[in-house]
Amino acid sequence: MTADTQVKLAVYRHFAETGVRPSPHEVAERAGCEIREALDAYQRLGAQRLLVLESDGSSIRMASPFSGVPTQHVVESEGIRYFANCAWDALGIPAALHRNATIHSRCEQSGEPLHLRVSPSGPEPCDWVFHCPVPAAEWWDDIVFT
Amino acid sequence: MLFFRSEERVREWCEAHGHPVRPLVRMNQLWGLATAWYATRLQEDSRRPGPDEIRSIFAGLGLADDFWDPSSNDVG
Repeated sequence: MTADTQVKLAVYRHFAETGVRPSPHEVAERAGCEIREALDAYQRLGAQRLLVLESDGSSIRMASPFSGVPTQHVVESEGIRYFANCAWDALGIPAALHRNATIHSRCEQSGEPLHLRVSPSGPEPCDWVFHCPVPAAEWWDDIVFT
Repeated sequence: MLFFRSEERVREWCEAHGHPVRPLVRMNQLWGLATAWYATRLQEDSRRPGPDEIRSIFAGLGLADDFWDPSSNDVG
């Protein structure tokens, strides 16, 4: 396994186990490398769009589907609370965990709350819709807005 | 990328914010996208889908509008 893969897995598995972003120290410890090496790997993983970093270059804003900061899309599973980057990622968290989960979000226009149960085979029947105002080819022009 | 209670709420939101109404995605389609992107994300050999895979995933879910064309090869 490459060093970058070890760092990637350390980041993602920390999110999966805790619901919050790991510190560089935690990632380095888990990946078995120095903090400087972990931060260098962050840059390469960012170039592959597997991580989105804060401006400090060391705090993880996104390790999709997980968000490193609180959002309106909350996913609860086995007593752990996760934040998702967007509606797509809200379903992405149970898809990644392969566990039962409940998504708590809202209608962006009316504010009506959404509580959606999801199993490893998919969401319960639901007639809500998903809308993205940005065409696919432009998503990464501003991924935080997207 | 947002949830809406109905198509009517989407139209209201787009009008209020000056955005065009884009193709709507149903929840079963969104689950298809979520699993295609993230089902292996915690595994060692996980990777993001490539451009051709992305087109195939979208088409397989009935998302064939130009809106979904990853023409820059950088989607996802």
